Amino acid sequence: MNGTHIVVRDLSKTYRVPEREPGLAASLKGLVRRDYRDVEAVRGVSFTVEAGEIVGFIGPNGAGKTSTLKMLSGLLYPTAGESRVLGHVPWERRPGYLRRISMILGNKSQMVWDIPPLDTFHVLGEIYGVDPADLQRTLDELVELLEMQELLTKPVRNFSLGERMKCELVAGLLHRPDVLFLDEPTLGLDVSMQGRLRRFLAEYNQRNDVTVILTSHYMADVLALCPRVILIHHGQLLYDGDLGGLAERLAPFKLIRVTLRNGSPDGIPEGVDVIERENGRLTLRVGRAEAPALTAHLLDTLPVADLAVEDPPIEAVIDQIYQEGVA
Amino acid sequence: MSGRDLNLRGGWALVRRTWFSWMQHRGFFFLLAFSWMMPMLIYLFVWSQAAGGGAGGGAGGTIGGLTRSDLVTYYLVLILVNQLAFCTNNWTVGDGIRYGRMNFLLLRPMSPVYDALASEVAGKVVFMTFALPVTGVLALILRPELNVAWRDVGLFVPALALAWMLRFVWGYWLALLAFWATRADALLSLQESLIFLLAGQVAPPTLLPAPMQALATVLPFRYMLGFPVEVLLGQLDGAQLRAGFAFQTGWLAVAAALFVALWWAGTRRYTAVGG
Amino acid sequence: MLMRHLRLIKRFAAVSIQNELAYSANAWISLLHSVLNLGTGVLGVMVLFSQVETIHGWDLPSTLALLGVYLILSALRGLFIGPSLESLAGMDGEVWTGQFDFTLLRPVDVQFLASFRHWRPFALLDLLLGLGVLGMAMAQLGGTMTAACLLAFAVTLGAGLMILYALLLAFAGLVFWSPGFLFTWVFDGLFQMARYPASLYPGWLRLVLTWIIPVGVMTTVPAQALTGDLSPGVLVGSVALAAAFLAGASAIFRGGLRRYASASS
Repeated sequence: MNGTHIVVRDLSKTYRVPEREPGLAASLKGLVRRDYRDVEAVRGVSFTVEAGEIVGFIGPNGAGKTSTLKMLSGLLYPTAGESRVLGHVPWERRPGYLRRISMILGNKSQMVWDIPPLDTFHVLGEIYGVDPADLQRTLDELVELLEMQELLTKPVRNFSLGERMKCELVAGLLHRPDVLFLDEPTLGLDVSMQGRLRRFLAEYNQRNDVTVILTSHYMADVLALCPRVILIHHGQLLYDGDLGGLAERLAPFKLIRVTLRNGSPDGIPEGVDVIERENGRLTLRVGRAEAPALTAHLLDTLPVADLAVEDPPIEAVIDQIYQEGVA
Repeated sequence: MSGRDLNLRGGWALVRRTWFSWMQHRGFFFLLAFSWMMPMLIYLFVWSQAAGGGAGGGAGGTIGGLTRSDLVTYYLVLILVNQLAFCTNNWTVGDGIRYGRMNFLLLRPMSPVYDALASEVAGKVVFMTFALPVTGVLALILRPELNVAWRDVGLFVPALALAWMLRFVWGYWLALLAFWATRADALLSLQESLIFLLAGQVAPPTLLPAPMQALATVLPFRYMLGFPVEVLLGQLDGAQLRAGFAFQTGWLAVAAALFVALWWAGTRRYTAVGG
Repeated sequence: MLMRHLRLIKRFAAVSIQNELAYSANAWISLLHSVLNLGTGVLGVMVLFSQVETIHGWDLPSTLALLGVYLILSALRGLFIGPSLESLAGMDGEVWTGQFDFTLLRPVDVQFLASFRHWRPFALLDLLLGLGVLGMAMAQLGGTMTAACLLAFAVTLGAGLMILYALLLAFAGLVFWSPGFLFTWVFDGLFQMARYPASLYPGWLRLVLTWIIPVGVMTTVPAQALTGDLSPGVLVGSVALAAAFLAGASAIFRGGLRRYASASS
C-alpha cells in the first residue's frame, strides 16, 4: 500500500461552550437565556501523510491534538476545512472506511471486563468481518510479538495496566487497519512497559507498513518512534518536520555541561546563562554560533574535569514553547 | 454509642455540605422521587376507579368502607409520608462498609450515624421539593375531600416520627450485615416485596385480605409507611390505634437491639480484620 | 447482510451469557428477583379483586391475562433491548464515560449495536413465568381460542414490542443532549402503568397513555385480542402507531448521534 494516505486542508473545529458563571443571579439568568462562548480548538490545520509514516502530534493540553485526531477518525464533524483519509471523507463514517482504520485510546478500554480477551477478539473479528482463518493468523502473530500467550484465557479484570494495553493493541490491530490512530497510548504505564510498547509499534509499522498517528505527552515516545512531528498549539500547526529540526529552529542554542575539579567556578564570561550550578557541576546555555568559542575558553581558563556540549533536551524546548509560544 | 462527643457544629456543617451537593444533582434525586411515587400513583388511580364503579365513575360506591375520595387522599398522603420516612441508609451505609469508607468515618470525631442523619435531612428537603408540588397539583386535579380531625393530626405526628425512626434503625441494622456478607441484594429484594405488599402500597392495610392483613399487623413494614397515614385519616378505631402504636414501638426496640448488637460485633470484626 | 447481522447477534448473545456466568451468585439472585416479581404482581391483582368483582369490564382472570402480557413484554425488554440501551445511556453508560467513541468507530450501524449488543439470558425465565401466568389466566377465562384470536394477539404483541423498543430508544437517545440524566429511568416509571388495563385510568390519563406514551397500547390491546374484545380498527391502529413511533424514535436517536459528533470534545 503506497501513496498518500492522509490529506488535511484548513481543518477547523470550533465548539460552542455554554457560559457558566458562579452565583445565584447568574444561574437564574441561565434558566432563561444561555450565553455561549466559542472555543476554537483547531484553526486551519493542513498537512499530508504518506503511507507507512509514523507521525507524532505534540502540543500542550487543550492544543487541539485530540480534536484533530477525532476528526480524522470520523468521530467529530469539523466546522470548516476538508480532509481525506484513504480516499474517504472520515466523518461520513462509511463502513468501508471504518474497517480500514483503528483507534487506540490511552485511558479507555474496549475489552469486555469479565471474560477472557480471546472472546472479545472474536467478537471484534465478527464485527469487522475478518475471515476466521485470517483472524487466527493475525492473532497468532500479534500474541507472539507481544508475548501474551498466557493472558488469553484469563478474565481481563485481573490484568495489570500493561497487560491491558497489550490487549488493546491486539484489539486495535486484529483487522489489519491501514491507518492507526493512537491517543496517549503510554499513559500510566511503567517505564519498561513503555519501552516494550514503543518497540512493538516500531516493529509492527516496519513489518506491515501501517500509517501511524500518535499523540503523546511523553517526549520519550516521540523521540523513540516518530521521525516526523507536528506541533499543534492553540489549535494551530506550528511546526511540521523532524524532531531535530524542531530543536534547531525553535531553540537555537546549545547546553554546555562542565564538571570542575575543584569547586569554585569563576572566570565565566559575562552574558552566558548559567542554568544549573551544583557541587562543581555547571550547565551553561549559549547560542549555537558561540558554543565552540566558549568551549575553548572554558577548557583554557578553568580546571575542567569533564565537559560536554549538548543539544537542549526536546522537553525543554517544548516546555518553552508551551509557555511562551513560538517566536 | 461510645463516649465520643457529638460535635454539633461539625454536624451542622456536614448537613449543609451534604445539602449543597444534593441540590446540585437534584435532577437525579427528582428522578428517584418520581420512581418511588409511580407505583403509588398507579394504585391511587386503580383503587379510585374501583371505588367509583360504573360507567360514570361518580361519587358512587365504597370499598371496605372507604369512598373514592378517601382512597385518593390516602394515596396522596402515602406518597408524602413515604418521601418523608424513606431512608437510604441501608444502601449508603452498606456501601460504606463494603468499600472501606468506614475507616475514615470511624476516625472523625463524629459517629457515622451522624453522617447518615445528615444525608437524611438533606435528602428530605430535596425530595420534598419534588413531591410536594406534584401531590399538590394532583390534589387540585382530583379534588378529594379532606376530613381530618385535630385529634388525628395530634396522633399523626408521633406516628410519623416513630415510622421514620423505625425505618432508619431498621435500615441501619440491615446495612450492618455488610460487615459479614458481600452482597445484600437478596435480602433487600425480599424486603422491598414485603413492603410493597404489606406496608400499605398495594392497598390500604384495612383492605388487604385476611391472611395478609394479619401478617401486615404483626410485621414491622406497615408501621414504617401505612400506619401513620391510617392514623391521620382516622381509619383506625381505639383498639387498633393502641395496638398499632404498641407494635410500632416494639419493633423499634427490636431494631435498636439488633443495631447495637451488630454494631458491636461488626466493629470488632472490622478492626480485627484490618478494614 | 441479514446473515451477517444474525451472526453478530449470536456472538453478542454468547459473550453476554459468558459475562453473566462469570459470577455464579447472579443466577440465584436472578431467580429470586423473577419469582418475587411474579409474586408481587399476581398478589397485587388478587388483592384488588378481593374487594371488587369487575372494574370497567375487567375481572380477575382478564386482568391477570393482562399482567401476563406485561410480564412477557417486560421479559423481552430485559432480554436484550433494556440491557443494550442501558449500557449506552444508563448509569455509567458509554456516553457518560466516553467509551461510546469505540462504538462509533465500528463499521456497523450504531443503532443496531446500541439495540442488540448486550443480552441477559436470565430474562428467559421471566418470559416463561409470564407465559405461565397468561396461560393460567386464559384457562380460567374459558371460552374458545380461535386461530384468528391468536394471530391478532401475535400481531398486537409485536406492535406492543415495537412501541416499547421505540420509546426506550427515544429516551436513550435523549442522553446525547443531556448526558448526565437517566432518561431511561423515566420510562421505567411510566412503564409500570402498563400493568393495568388502560381503562382503569381516568380519561385524560388514558388519552396520554394511548397516544403520547402508549404504554396502554402495549399491554391492553394484546390482552383484548386474546379475550376477543378487539376491533379490527384498533388492531390496524396499533400497528400504525408502532410504525410511527419507530420512525420517530429512530429520528431522535440519529439526531442525537449527529449532535454528539458535533459537540463532543
